[in-house]
Amino acid sequence: MAEKKPTGTVLVAGAGVSGIKAAIELAEIGYKVLLTDASPQIGGILAKLDNQFPTDHCGMCRMLPLVGREYASQYCMRKGLYHENIEILPFTELKSVEGDAGNYTIELLQKARYIDTDKCNGLGECIKVCPVEVGDEFNHGLTKRKAVYKPVPHNTPQMLLIDMAACTKCGECVKVCPTNVINLEAEDELSTRQVHAIILASGVKLYNLEEFEDAKSWAVSPDVVSSLAFERIISGSGTFDGTIKRPSDGKAAKKIAWIQCMGSRNRRQKRDYCSSICCMFALKEAVLAKEKGGDDVETTIFYMDMRTFGKDFYQYYEKAVDEHGVKLIRCRVQGVMLNPDKSLSMRYFDSETQEFFVVDYDMVVLSTGQVPYETHKKLADLLHVAINAQGLLPTDPYEKVKLIKPGMFLCGSLMGLTDLSEAISSGIAAAGQVSRFLSGIDVTLLEEEEIPEPTAKDRDEPLISIVLCKCSEKAKESSVDFNALGAGLKKLNSVGEVNIIDMVCSDEGKQTVLDLLSKSKCNRLLIGACHPFMYRKSLKNLAKKAGFSASLFEIIDLSSIVHKGFFESETKDQTRLAYNEIRAVIENLKLKPALHVETLPINPAALVVGGGIAGMHAAFSLAQRGVKVHLVEKSDTLGGYAGTKIEHTIDGLTPISMAKDLTIKVLEHKHITLYKNCEVVATQGSLGAFETKIRDLAKEENFYLNHGAAIIATGGHEGVTAEYEYGNSDQILTQAELKDGLTTGEIDVGEAETIVMIQCVGSRQKDGREYCSRICCIGAIANALTIKEKNPEARVFILYRDVMTYGFAEQYYTQARLAGIIFVSYSLENKPKVELKDGSPVITFTEPVLNSEMQLSPDYLILSTGVDAEASNRDVGKAFSLPVNGDGFFVEADSKWRPVEFLKVGLYVAGVAHSPMTLKDAILQAEAAAHKTYAYLSGRKIHTAHVISKVHHAICVKCQRCVDICPYGARSYDEVLDRIIVDGATCQACGMCGVACQNNAAEIMGFSDKQIMAVIDARLYRDPVATTAQ
Amino acid sequence: MDFSSSDKDLWKQIYNTKDLLHCFNCSTCLSGCPASHGDPPLLVRNLARMVVYGLEEDLLNDDTPWACVSCSRCEEMCPMDVKPFEMILAIRRWQTLNDETRVPTAIVEIYKRGYTQSVGTNTELRKSLGLPELQTITKMPEMLKLYQEMLMKTPVVSENDYMFNEE
Amino acid sequence: MELCLFLGCNTPAIRPDVERAIRATMPELGVDLADAEGYVCCPAFGSFPSTDDDSYLASSGWNLSIAEAKGLDIMVQCGSCYSSLRMGRDHLAHDEEKLARVNELIELTGRKLECKTKVRHISEILYNEVGAEKISRSIKKNLSGLHGIVQYPCHTLFPSEIVGFEESPREPKALRILTEALGATVDHYSRELQCCGGAGGFSKSSPAEATEFAKTKLDAIIEETKADFIVVSCITCLMYLDNIQKKLNEVEGTDKYHIPVFDYNQLLALCMEFDPRQVASICTVPRNKVIDKIMAG
Repeated sequence: MAEKKPTGTVLVAGAGVSGIKAAIELAEIGYKVLLTDASPQIGGILAKLDNQFPTDHCGMCRMLPLVGREYASQYCMRKGLYHENIEILPFTELKSVEGDAGNYTIELLQKARYIDTDKCNGLGECIKVCPVEVGDEFNHGLTKRKAVYKPVPHNTPQMLLIDMAACTKCGECVKVCPTNVINLEAEDELSTRQVHAIILASGVKLYNLEEFEDAKSWAVSPDVVSSLAFERIISGSGTFDGTIKRPSDGKAAKKIAWIQCMGSRNRRQKRDYCSSICCMFALKEAVLAKEKGGDDVETTIFYMDMRTFGKDFYQYYEKAVDEHGVKLIRCRVQGVMLNPDKSLSMRYFDSETQEFFVVDYDMVVLSTGQVPYETHKKLADLLHVAINAQGLLPTDPYEKVKLIKPGMFLCGSLMGLTDLSEAISSGIAAAGQVSRFLSGIDVTLLEEEEIPEPTAKDRDEPLISIVLCKCSEKAKESSVDFNALGAGLKKLNSVGEVNIIDMVCSDEGKQTVLDLLSKSKCNRLLIGACHPFMYRKSLKNLAKKAGFSASLFEIIDLSSIVHKGFFESETKDQTRLAYNEIRAVIENLKLKPALHVETLPINPAALVVGGGIAGMHAAFSLAQRGVKVHLVEKSDTLGGYAGTKIEHTIDGLTPISMAKDLTIKVLEHKHITLYKNCEVVATQGSLGAFETKIRDLAKEENFYLNHGAAIIATGGHEGVTAEYEYGNSDQILTQAELKDGLTTGEIDVGEAETIVMIQCVGSRQKDGREYCSRICCIGAIANALTIKEKNPEARVFILYRDVMTYGFAEQYYTQARLAGIIFVSYSLENKPKVELKDGSPVITFTEPVLNSEMQLSPDYLILSTGVDAEASNRDVGKAFSLPVNGDGFFVEADSKWRPVEFLKVGLYVAGVAHSPMTLKDAILQAEAAAHKTYAYLSGRKIHTAHVISKVHHAICVKCQRCVDICPYGARSYDEVLDRIIVDGATCQACGMCGVACQNNAAEIMGFSDKQIMAVIDARLYRDPVATTAQ
Repeated sequence: MDFSSSDKDLWKQIYNTKDLLHCFNCSTCLSGCPASHGDPPLLVRNLARMVVYGLEEDLLNDDTPWACVSCSRCEEMCPMDVKPFEMILAIRRWQTLNDETRVPTAIVEIYKRGYTQSVGTNTELRKSLGLPELQTITKMPEMLKLYQEMLMKTPVVSENDYMFNEE
Repeated sequence: MELCLFLGCNTPAIRPDVERAIRATMPELGVDLADAEGYVCCPAFGSFPSTDDDSYLASSGWNLSIAEAKGLDIMVQCGSCYSSLRMGRDHLAHDEEKLARVNELIELTGRKLECKTKVRHISEILYNEVGAEKISRSIKKNLSGLHGIVQYPCHTLFPSEIVGFEESPREPKALRILTEALGATVDHYSRELQCCGGAGGFSKSSPAEATEFAKTKLDAIIEETKADFIVVSCITCLMYLDNIQKKLNEVEGTDKYHIPVFDYNQLLALCMEFDPRQVASICTVPRNKVIDKIMAG
């Protein structure tokens, strides 16, 4: 007999946002995931952030899968993550990694929590009696915690632990623990596991104020805080209930300053890099401070360059400055002085007036960046690889989530501090890489869950079986009389039986329940237990095993009723409360229809629109995993802009030759069919079954392609301009023209004395490209360095607004200055002026350091005209009914949490079609988009949810209000059928259509008006005889 | 101001170091500088910019480098390690080299008596405090002569020897 | 231990009482002092360091070689002298060419420089070599009941890799700990790390602004602390902070600026019961109150 193949198992080390995302993506396609985190909780930095740019809300749950949402346990992500295929191991360190690609033996050290969290009820009796108080790490020491504590206050269930360094072992907690789960002598446990691939997502160490010398000029008061600590100060669950008070004395903070580049862009301290995210972070915090603290809060950001380079960042920046009045001052300040009234004095220089100012602030927030090197060295040693020249983990030159060692990948801030959107994309891309890798080795997937159809029994008159777990009785606050409760419930209509059991969550308890239910004649089931989300998986399986339909099964959280204070204002009679709660659920359950799920027919082919590097990469990534790909390119060559025009980049990449290699791979792959000179005309259908009309431009004829999903990778090109006399002198060129000329030798700079470059031409302004094109600063530097190489005597000036050499690209800015390239900033209000004198450009500008007018007559004036979206994006958008923004780029489902997805399930975006980005970022997105596509086309069954919206066509007047209001684009009007149709995969059952429909023709299955009214009635009704006890 | 008249290589004459080129005009040097309180203020960042631009005339006529209190706070704080105090000294040297009126009178005094002021001549006061007589170079004419001989071999003293030789 | 005392010019010429205090106290703490016969100007930053390397480093070499000939390290109180000598030494120690040139220049003295001699500030010797504990044990009177503020000499802080000895140049503590060792309470205030403003050309080229600058510091001391005295360990800080108060009173038409200023070794000498008339007699702001209190205690 052949040996059974092992289940593909992946270690994801690090449970921040990117790690979680990678884990979910892999779990969704059937791999087993070990998700570890060195800290006692999961969620990484995001656990501390209540508000994220650009909506200033939380949106973490948006990273959960949309299709199959009922099977991946859906829950508020800030509280926790539960997925059947993910084994979560917090407080666990990766100790060693041995073995070869596809076969790694790892050692995990699970640190002792001293509390068995599986059995702990999380009510925290132990916390109350613990006599030790220390600073709470979660709130950056702004609040106190006990030695036994909850690492993240809003996590559910409460994963308590004991801080043994602080614990005095007095034993008080052991005495009061109702579930007897505290063991003060517990020890760390070392375990060995086999995994087939590894994703590192452990993030990067952040600059902390205690450790580094340069922070000491600031650490003069508790009112000087790091930006993460400030998040805790303004958090609703933080230190001051969301109002902004300064930590020293709790006085309202009305004047707040942010200091950028704290710990970054500092050659003297050997940290000459940018931390990428701090500028947006500070802007967001400054806006939030105004929103939460009131209009009279003054916010000032001291900066060097506002690096608002990402999609929509610039618009947020404009809004922060113009609408919210956030003040920006370009000055790096040495430090702060603490005044007797606790205010903080800072002296700064205003270049515009050439004057010094001394201003007092209530609080100073330090925008603390990354300190990557230590993190990377440690990991490199563990993985037996050498760190690269920059001190970072060695990755593939083009694919930044791929380590040079096979089977090992990384994502998130380990690549350099990343914003949320990149953390998410990189998490998906890393999962994609793993799935590509595992498809080439001999492992299997976890078995798919069978979803039974409703049976005849399910359609019978409702008869409800109730199982109540009485473990919560043991909680001190509990006064529920379970016998009385059971007796009361038993009397209700449609209740077949009531079983009261102890410890349903235990193996014994589950067996008891299973035994009882197997004999049951009931067709509906209600289980009351504590922390039901925690046991959802096992309770659901229990119900299934006992033959109950998933749609006729409800779980109710008893602990929240018992938990002190929850309903205190209403009544203290907990038995009655529980009775009323449960009764309402019974009323609902009684009326529930037996729902079935639909298994979607999936055409396992993908359409990729655009044959640039991103499109080709996505196509190849899919084809490698056996997915058939239709690759449509409107021109007659593959490669797109970068792959046909850019010979080499500053970071040593060679896009043209890379595109050539990729083209060969694409052309040779049996799963990829290429359609050159073709464009998309129209498409219809939904996930699994799209039909797209293609126009062959050469043959001038149309044909149709059927596909299950599509990726839009239509790219972009260099921007055009008429500004600065462009077109009127052959001495005025764009950066691309210069690069071309320098490469071909058509432009000879050997004799040139002066060359001037102007950045942001037509960009980052309201009446132009209202965005940063990301690549122009680095591109200009690359060209300037080439000029200096060819002619070291030439003077090169770069007139810029903010130098956008974010992340480790800062090194190129430094390199450029060292080469003698002179950077001069200008403001949008005072742009340089260009005149032609005898056909040659003369530039006049205000030199900002000396604040004086200056003039240059350069041999060449080079314009950085940014990146424009493809004009055809609007047509492609129309064809797929996809939104395109004012600048012509596609609008993704959610800029942070769903960066490569469209609202309509089955459609994805990658590369410059999304926004201007570097080649590496485009490849990363392509990998992510390919993986999202693969997840649906891999051959696994894709089901709709039980609960989705449906249309009662008989009473529908086709007014299409529901179509307009649907936030997911799940509803559309089908002209052929002349009716409203619902895309069952895309519908998330939010209920908006039901609200919009004036005829009640839109209904969410399982949420009929009748059910809702019954629940409301039950909750309002007070049954005086329900409880006999007390 | 017209850049065409500026000397692009001036920085090599004044402060020929890669440290200077690292400067990104962040203003850190300014915010804690004592002499930046002066009138006119010493603006270290602006001087660095003038050197990079090669604004020769402006630099020659600028007195502010001499207002520096030599506290070197800017050296400590400069995130780019431009070593601004070294640059201030370098500008002074360049000015001295190109303009004899910039030669500090202090060096004439030191040449003459070893110090910028007379030291050890307050014998009575010293005695009243119980202090011993001090073996200053002023009191060791042979030594002082050697010192002067040595200084005469150094560039600024020898080039401006007329300032030192008159008795 | 034995060290070569480099006095500079201001101390022996204008404030010899400080010299007396140093010469009196250091041997009591086990630090014997040798004189640097025939030493020259450190040289001051406004002199040779502002003209050319040769004359600057030759003067440094001249001074360093005197101590080196004795096989001793140099001890300096004056901040400027300390910084100039130490930076000069640093240049020479890291540049063989420059060292060779200096040896060529100082050859006529018959001395040779190998840069073995180190340059150390007196507060560093007191802090690291003697230690606060020994100081506490060595005094007969103390400063208990008195409040002081300390003025850290910039020249001993920045740039830290060349002149520094504090664990953190941004959070210096040596002088505070040394002052506390004498029993005083050291108060903190907002402008504690602000330079006295006395060195270089600033106070001469912008007298009004320099006075205003010093005023911000003194106002902060008056408003924020209970300081009975200011402790310094640099002759420039001493003279400047002492003299500027008289000027401020004249400019402001007030008499509120009257905080006596002491060199650390002067306070140490007073606590060791040396004669105040010898170790702490020269000042602009009268010191009687503090001295009387020490003597009475």
